[in-house]
Amino acid sequence: MTPSAAPTAVATLLPTTTVGSFPKPPYLLEARRKVARKQMPAAELATLERRATEEWIRRQEELDIDILVDGEMYRGDMVAFFADQMDGFEIAGLVRSYGNRYYPKPVVVRPVGRRGPLTVDWYKFSQGLTARPVKGMLTGPYTIAEWSFNEYYPSRRELVMELARAIHDEAVDLERAGARYIQIDEPAIHTRPDEDFDLAVEAMEVVTSGLKTYTITHVCYGDVPKIYPAMLRLAVNQIDLALKNEDFALLETFRSPRFTKDIGLGVLDAHSHRAETPEEVVDGIRRTLDVIPAKQIQVSPDCGLKTRTIDETTAKLASMVEGTKRVRKELGA
Amino acid sequence: MGVHRVKTTVVGSYPKIPDPPAPGRWRSSVEKLQRGEITGEDLHKVEDDVTAEVLREQADAGVELLTDGQIRWEDGFTYFARGLHGFTVNGLQRYFDTNVYYRQPVATAEVSWRAPITVADYQFAASHSTRPVKPVVTGPFTLAVLSKDEFYGNLDQFVMALASALNQELRALAAAGAAVIQVDEPGLLTRRDRFPLFRRASNALWDGITATRALYTYFGHLDGLYPAILDLPVDIIGVDLVAGPRNWEILRRARFTKALGAGLLDARNTRLESPEEIAAQTRKAAEIAPAETLQVGPSAGLEFLPRRVARKKLETLVSGVRLANGGAA
Repeated sequence: MTPSAAPTAVATLLPTTTVGSFPKPPYLLEARRKVARKQMPAAELATLERRATEEWIRRQEELDIDILVDGEMYRGDMVAFFADQMDGFEIAGLVRSYGNRYYPKPVVVRPVGRRGPLTVDWYKFSQGLTARPVKGMLTGPYTIAEWSFNEYYPSRRELVMELARAIHDEAVDLERAGARYIQIDEPAIHTRPDEDFDLAVEAMEVVTSGLKTYTITHVCYGDVPKIYPAMLRLAVNQIDLALKNEDFALLETFRSPRFTKDIGLGVLDAHSHRAETPEEVVDGIRRTLDVIPAKQIQVSPDCGLKTRTIDETTAKLASMVEGTKRVRKELGA
Repeated sequence: MGVHRVKTTVVGSYPKIPDPPAPGRWRSSVEKLQRGEITGEDLHKVEDDVTAEVLREQADAGVELLTDGQIRWEDGFTYFARGLHGFTVNGLQRYFDTNVYYRQPVATAEVSWRAPITVADYQFAASHSTRPVKPVVTGPFTLAVLSKDEFYGNLDQFVMALASALNQELRALAAAGAAVIQVDEPGLLTRRDRFPLFRRASNALWDGITATRALYTYFGHLDGLYPAILDLPVDIIGVDLVAGPRNWEILRRARFTKALGAGLLDARNTRLESPEEIAAQTRKAAEIAPAETLQVGPSAGLEFLPRRVARKKLETLVSGVRLANGGAA
C-alpha cells in the first residue's frame, strides 16, 4: 500500500501504456445504479470498485503492459469526479456529448478549491497491488473549466488559473505518495486555440511547477495542427495524442518543426468496436519512427477505453502489446 | 416604448433526455437497440414520441416558430452524409469549440442527392405541432469544411456539388409544405476567406426555393463578412450575439436589410437570464432590424444545456420578448 513497494523502472524501448479509463464490469455498473437509487450503501460500492480496480491491474499485468493505470473504476466522469469532491461546484444535469453518451456537466457557483487530496488514496491502493509503475491521473484545469458551466467567475481565465493551483497541489500530493508518472488530461486544450491557448500553457506551467516526476498530458480529437508547434510549449515531458483515429495523418504535421517532446502514440481507435490487428499497430509505429525517434515514444490507445466492452478492450490491448513487441524486436531492443 | 410583433424562435437542437431521476426513454432505447432487444423501428417510435414531447415543451414555453429538436440526429453531419451518395463516415471529431462530437464524413465519390433525408421528419413534426415548424438542414459549406475530401481535391468543387445536392433536399422540403427553411452555416465563420465561394454555393443552394429562406451563422462574429452577407439570396440571417458580442457593433456598420434572427439567449451556459435582460436586448436588436422582422431566440441549439435549464431559458426568452413587445402576449 505504500511507495515502498518500489515500482520497477521501465527500461524497455517503446513502453506500452493506456490513457486512463477502462470499461466497468457489469457488477460494478449494476452496483452504481443501485447506489444512485439508494438501494445499496456507498461503502458496498467502494468494495466493488476496489475489486474491479484489482481485476484491471491483473489484466494489464497479464497483457504485459509496462506502465499501468488504475482504470478509473471509481469515476463516473473525468470532470465530475473532480468537481464532486472540490469546493465551488454543483452538478447541473446531463448533457450529451455524442450519440447516447452523456456527462453530468458541473456548474461553478462559488470559488473553486481543493478540500483535500482527490486521487491519492486510489493511486496508493492501485500502486500497492503491483510492482509495475501506476500513473497518477488528473484532469487538467483548462478541461475542467471548459467542460463546466461557469456562473461565478467573471472570466474563463480566473477560473482556469484557480483550478490550476488546486490541480498543482494534487500533483504534489501524488508525487509525495510516490507516483513516478503523472498524467494531466487536457482533451479540451485545443478547443479555442486562437482565443486562449496561451492561457492553457500558463495553466499547465502552474500545474507541473516544481515536480520532479515524469509528466504527461493527454489531448484528443480536435484540430491538433492548429496548436502545433505551440503545443510543444506545454510544460510536460510527454504529449499523448490520438493518431489512429485519423490514420496517422498527424505525422505529416510533426515532421516540421520536429516533435521535440516525448509522444504518447495512440495506435488504437478507442471508439471503434473492431480490434486492430498487431500488423496495424506495427505499421503505425513504423510510420511514426520515420518522424519521431523510438526513445521519444510510448505506445497507447487513442483515448480512454471506458466506452468499449471488456472483451473489445482486451483484444485491442493484446494487439497493441504484440505489435509493439514485434517492432522492438526489429529495432533489436 | 415597446416594440411590436417581435417573434420568438429556436435555432435547432433540443435536449433529448429529461433530467434525472426521470427515465430517459430515448437513451435506454438506444442501449436496448445495441443489445438487440428492440428493433430500429421500435427506436424510431420512441424518437417520434420524444419529438412530439419536445415540440409540446417548446410550445408550452410560448415559443412561436419551432423545430423538431433534431431528436433523430446523431449529429449534424452524419445525418446528411449517410443520406447522400458519395460519403463514408469516419471517426469522432470535436464540433467547433463545444464538448460535442460528430463523426467526420469522408467524400469518397461524386456527391449527389438520392432521396429526401429530412422530409419525413419535417412532416411528422409539422403534423404533431400546434405551432409552425421550420426544418433545419446543415449547409453545404459547413458540411464540406467539416468533412474530409478524398475525392474532389478542391474545396470549390466539393462545396458546389454539395450545394446542388442539398438544393434538391430544400426543394423536397418546400414541396412538403415547409414555409420557412433554416440552413445552418457556422462553418462560414471559420473560413471567412472563402466568402465568394460561399456566395456561389448559396445561389445554387437556394435556387428555385420560394419558402422563406433562413441562414443561421452561430458560434462567432461576422467581422469580414458584413455587410457582404446581406447580398446572399436569403430572407432571414441568424446571428449569434452571445458568442459573438462584437456582432452588436458589426451589424450597425451598414443598414441591416434582411429579417434578423437575433441569438440573444445564451445557449451555452446555465446562468439564467432575466426577462428584463432579454427585453433590453430585444429592444437593442430592434434598433438594428425593424421589430416586425425580428425573430429572437437562443444563440445556438439548446442541446448544450440540461433539459430543465433549456426549458427555463425558453420560458425566460418568451417572457422577455413579451416585455419588449409592451407586455402583450
